Amino acid sequence: QHMMKFKNKGKDATALRRQRVELSIQLRKVKKDEQILKRRNISVHSEEENPSVGQNRPNEIIQLSLEEIVEALNGNNTKLQLLAVQTARRILSRHKDPPINQIIELGIIPRMVEFLGHADNAPLQFEAAWALTNVASGTSEHTRAVVEGGAIPAFISLLSSPHMHIREQSVWALGNIAGDGPLYRDALIACDVIPPLLALVSPATPVGFLRNVTWTLSNLCRSKNPCPPLDAVQKILPVLICLLQHEDKDIVSDSCWAFSYLTDGCNDRIQVVVDTGILPRLVELMHSPELTVMTPALRAVGNVVTGTEQQTQAAIDAGVLAVLPRLLRHTKPVIQKEAAWALSNIAAGPCQQIQQIITCGLLPFVVEVLDKGDLKAQKEAVWVVANFTTGGTVDQVVELIRAGVLKPLLNLLSAKDNKTILIILETISNLFLAAEKLGQTEKLCLLLEKLDGLEKIEVLQNHENNMIYRTALSILEKYFFGEENTDLDPQTDQDGLYGFSVEKQDFNF
Amino acid sequence: MELSDANLQTLTEYLKKTLDPDPAIRRPAEKFLESVEGSQNYPLLLLTLLEKSQENVIKVCASVTFKNYIKRNWRIVEDEPNKICESDRIAIKANIVPLMLSSPEQIQKQLSDAISIIGREDFPQKWPDLLTEMVNRFQSGDFHVINGVLRTAHSLFKRYRHEFKSNELWTEIKLVLDAFALPLTNLFKATIELCSTHANDASALKVLFSSLILIAKLFYSLNFQDLPEFFEDNMETWMTNFHSLLTLDNKLLQTDDEEEAGLLELLKSQICDNAALYAQKYDEEFQPYLPRFVTAIWNLLVTTGQEVKYDLLVSNAIQFLASVCERPHYKHLFEDQNTLTSICEKVIVPNMEFRAADEEAFEDNSEEYIRRDLEGSDIDTRRRAACDLVRGLCKFFEGPVTGIFSGYVNSMLQEYAKNPSVNWKHKDAAIYLVTSLASKAQTQKHGITQANELVNLTEFFVNHIQPDLKSATVNEFPVLKADGIKYIMIFRNQVPKEQLLVSIPLLINHLQAESIVVHTYAAHALERLFTMRGTNNATFITAAEMAPFVEVLLTNLFKALTLPGSSENEYIMKAIMRSFSLLQESIIPYIPSVITQLTQKLLAVSKNPSKPHFNHYMFESICLSIRITCKANPEAVGSFEEALFLVFTEILQNDVQEFIPYVFQVMSLLLEMHKNEIPSSYMALFPHLLQPVLWERTGNIPPLVRLLQAFLERGASTIASAAADKIPGLLGVFQKLIASKANDHQGFYLLNSIIEHMPPESVDQYRKQIFILLFQRLQNSKTTKFIKSFLVFINLYCVRYGALALQEIFDSIQPKMFGMVLEKIIIPEIQKVSGQVEKKICAVGITKILTECPPMMDTEYTKLWIPLLQALIGLFELPEDDTIPDEEHFIDIEDTPGYQTAFSQLAFAGKKEHDPVGQMVNNPRIHLAQSLHKLSTACPGRVRSMLSTSLNAEALQYLQGYLQAASVTLL
Repeated sequence: QHMMKFKNKGKDATALRRQRVELSIQLRKVKKDEQILKRRNISVHSEEENPSVGQNRPNEIIQLSLEEIVEALNGNNTKLQLLAVQTARRILSRHKDPPINQIIELGIIPRMVEFLGHADNAPLQFEAAWALTNVASGTSEHTRAVVEGGAIPAFISLLSSPHMHIREQSVWALGNIAGDGPLYRDALIACDVIPPLLALVSPATPVGFLRNVTWTLSNLCRSKNPCPPLDAVQKILPVLICLLQHEDKDIVSDSCWAFSYLTDGCNDRIQVVVDTGILPRLVELMHSPELTVMTPALRAVGNVVTGTEQQTQAAIDAGVLAVLPRLLRHTKPVIQKEAAWALSNIAAGPCQQIQQIITCGLLPFVVEVLDKGDLKAQKEAVWVVANFTTGGTVDQVVELIRAGVLKPLLNLLSAKDNKTILIILETISNLFLAAEKLGQTEKLCLLLEKLDGLEKIEVLQNHENNMIYRTALSILEKYFFGEENTDLDPQTDQDGLYGFSVEKQDFNF
Repeated sequence: MELSDANLQTLTEYLKKTLDPDPAIRRPAEKFLESVEGSQNYPLLLLTLLEKSQENVIKVCASVTFKNYIKRNWRIVEDEPNKICESDRIAIKANIVPLMLSSPEQIQKQLSDAISIIGREDFPQKWPDLLTEMVNRFQSGDFHVINGVLRTAHSLFKRYRHEFKSNELWTEIKLVLDAFALPLTNLFKATIELCSTHANDASALKVLFSSLILIAKLFYSLNFQDLPEFFEDNMETWMTNFHSLLTLDNKLLQTDDEEEAGLLELLKSQICDNAALYAQKYDEEFQPYLPRFVTAIWNLLVTTGQEVKYDLLVSNAIQFLASVCERPHYKHLFEDQNTLTSICEKVIVPNMEFRAADEEAFEDNSEEYIRRDLEGSDIDTRRRAACDLVRGLCKFFEGPVTGIFSGYVNSMLQEYAKNPSVNWKHKDAAIYLVTSLASKAQTQKHGITQANELVNLTEFFVNHIQPDLKSATVNEFPVLKADGIKYIMIFRNQVPKEQLLVSIPLLINHLQAESIVVHTYAAHALERLFTMRGTNNATFITAAEMAPFVEVLLTNLFKALTLPGSSENEYIMKAIMRSFSLLQESIIPYIPSVITQLTQKLLAVSKNPSKPHFNHYMFESICLSIRITCKANPEAVGSFEEALFLVFTEILQNDVQEFIPYVFQVMSLLLEMHKNEIPSSYMALFPHLLQPVLWERTGNIPPLVRLLQAFLERGASTIASAAADKIPGLLGVFQKLIASKANDHQGFYLLNSIIEHMPPESVDQYRKQIFILLFQRLQNSKTTKFIKSFLVFINLYCVRYGALALQEIFDSIQPKMFGMVLEKIIIPEIQKVSGQVEKKICAVGITKILTECPPMMDTEYTKLWIPLLQALIGLFELPEDDTIPDEEHFIDIEDTPGYQTAFSQLAFAGKKEHDPVGQMVNNPRIHLAQSLHKLSTACPGRVRSMLSTSLNAEALQYLQGYLQAASVTLL
């Protein structure tokens, strides 16, 4: 049991750093603060401005049945083909519950992909691209139908279409395909999607278009296991850096998301981003009043500090510690949580970095989150304290206690979160180690009792979780009830008394 | 075993025999069943019996046996044989659910337990259809069946509440949610509808409410780890219904029982837990619902009665409010003055009232009452919950809340004043209210450490507490007396000293109260007051101030031990101990009577020691009597021995295990009081102390080592001459201790005493073996603790026998051994040694090695000379720590550090620290300088050249400082 107290000491710094390895299983709803993976094009109004459908009177919508769509598509009448694709696109664009499955089951996807190649018929290309975009926006199953229909090369060649709206729609479709996951993302990269896509970024590109490109680029940076190929990342990075300077907030937001994906991985990948020198800009964006910008910027920098000591130092040098106080006080609990998470990883560093946390005046903010934050944020703040007490010097730990961390920390022993309880108990053991060095064990005992911590630890002796129960017990036995004793019993008796004899062996210390 | 009627018959016979009260019949039957449980079909035979047996008792017995069988055997342990054959496992899983559901309740419970044990191992992977099978039963409409399913589900899912999150766990939960959440929700809605259609059918309602309770519990388990998507989407359904259930009442569900919580209370209580879970964990999502729950729960509190059966509900409900009102963004829900007033008036005050049940406990179960009231094991009580709510509200509303309560306190005191004998409970509530309002932080040791500044504690004390205690009748209104005494106790640091001094005779007087609570509190309060520290760390209350009360204090304390119910009252005994310690020599005139009373008590309790604290303080008191008396008059030790040895002999002969460690400590204390040679009465005991049976008990080890040390200090030469044949046995004890990582330091204590005190020739033949033994431990399982003790020992050896002797004995064990120990152990580890005396011993020892060991100067060991010197200087210049001041009076038994059994070490039998080099060396730095000087005179030039070529600059600077201080120069 006594190993408990050395547990953290044995951990090397990298083990204390907690990457964004969320469990692969999620019980929660997918959060709204994540960037959207796939998008459907449902803006019916925009088609009126589209020159390609300009000749159609918008109100005069000719309805075809599903059978008629199939028939028309497979026929040779280009007018009917256009009408059929348009009808399919409209069905797929309706606001609620588009019947994507039904459309796929009609078996018309390959035919629509074929239309993408009809360079002579731009309206048909456009409608097919739109319809396929919306099919690809569905589940993985749906996206697969589009990819297996051969859409990847077709859309990539459309990136060079003379018609801007077709290029734009293709970018969108490719974004949906890339957003499906690493498999299709890499398939796109293997088909060389990057050069024509990057070519679309120029000062002349309209903002709306550029937003789509940025979003698709971000999806190409997204997904782990595996992360995107390094050479692809290297190609995209210079453009992303430019986009991060744009004045449009959506473009900046999606670029930030891209950086957050690129930094969400092993330290080598973090290094690639750090080497671009973009950290100061990302930290600057953490100050942004726009939630959509600040959130991914915080993510990205938060990911960087999961990296090595040097990478973390780069983030500190870029000024991350100055912006964290504001974020720790943000009205949105998720932001508090992310900020505290980032800080917990900085606190996992060497004592020089811990010192910078102190110097930058962050301790009161940590205490505040512990005291008043949302539970999500409180849990991360507990990690800050835990890491701090593991890597900090005795003086730094004293500083932490002076900042008033104990009271709210001990209160959280009643939290309904088992891991948090355990971490707090381990932190308490760390505090005792420091107190022992100062010869102030008794003082700490009294302090814990005064703050109702003793009582809370005592209650945890009845906890159903074995680990929590044992940790609580070992703290109580070690510091509050006197010492417990592990007995290794050797030796035999001889003539009623213990015998005294030894055999000599060779010694080598 | 075949599934045959014959086997069923046999099994029935044996099961019947296992119920026989006669062990001669029962044991063989149990043995038989154990012997056949490995056979195939055995569990299936049991299942058949529990379903089909003609006799109900056999059915139940088979079901219990089956469950225990599953508990013992189902888990497949790696590298161990599978204890249940695969076909039996499959058959059990296929049949157990329907069987459980069709069984009567008694058997259902056993099978349900068995299912959850199996589920823990097999679910979900190896039991994929379990969930569907259960969910399908929801449609049956038969609530006996449904409740069976729900109960099983609860036992399967409740572990989600306490396990750490992991992919494995969450995969399982997700699977459960996918299959279970929707049907559960539908069942919840359907059950609620049925409740309204059957609103007039009491028996139907009972079944339905049992279902609702289980559903609410399942909700808690399924929502514990994280907020599942499904429940977020369906929060409206769940919360709206939970909310309306909270406000629901139905006469048919009300129970007459005052103690046992009814279904309605259990359900509401679980709903409070569910709401608290959401409020704490999923605050963002739950926010829209929270105000409604606050209102509902608060209304619930206002309308719930005082009966014990509501306790859990009320305390859960109050805890919910307490946790919400502390959160900044819900502050506004409580802010309104009317709201605050109403919470104070309708929720807090009523729940602080002294109830009939409290009164009963006060009178008939005082031990439990004291434990709850004094030691804070009141976590689930209403008073405690109300207290927590006060503290929660004070976080934001200290001023208004204090204001509101002051009004209440005054009106309650007025009520009391009108008619004390009828309205005394009002005063009790008033005191409790003041206490909970005023105390912000508290410890056992110091009482209240932070108080609400808005409450005038002294004024309340003088006006309302003291008058009760001054009343001539100590037995009137015992509850108020206890309240008053408790007030003094917890606010002892806030109330001015002159008031405390006024209180002391009042407290002494209340030691005579008949009420156990009252005289116990009086003793405890005195003990706490005597432990307070004043300026310059002396006691706050001085012996001089106590002088007028010594006799009455001692008389009343010992008299209190004769009051009914208090013959082994630990608080009184602790107060006796503390009084002795405070009063010191002023107790001497009373010692003859005191020691008689203590030995009589000791004799009485040694028949059946049951109160460890009481016993401990009793021994402490005995030690204090001895110390205080013998300090003034060393000759008195004989009369103590006379008074105590008879009882001690009895304790040792009857092997009263609890007391033996104490007896050894008292004997050590007595033995150390002797100035001359060891008395023969002690020597007769010596061989017995080496008996292994004594050393097998870990609690005996420290006091026995201590006692042997006392023997060695006082009687080493007697042992060498009269008991030389026992020396191997003595060293055997050392060997035994040294082999244990836990006890090795004790072994060193013993060894150090042997080396220090035994005549060298008496241990000569064993010396080499001692070192071999130590080297073995060092080689095989070295720990920091061992190394520290080892370093102290070899240096002590060096001091006693000389550096050359040390080098010679090391090198005789193995060539170059001395160099290896220097290089690998002493030089790198010496800085780990802690403790002033220990460091001093090491410093003197190392100085000897440096300056009095020729091989260090002219063999290959010479290269270690400078590193060793450097290590020594390092040892000097490390900051001193670990000094423990000699303030035994304040030592609380609970915080004496170190030894095994917390209760075995007597603070007042404490050994004075012993410095074996004390006379020889006063300042080890100067001693080093002088020794170096001597060495340099013997071989001029050598020391200086070694120093100037190899010693690092910083160390050299320190060294020059020592030389200067010693006014010597090196040649």
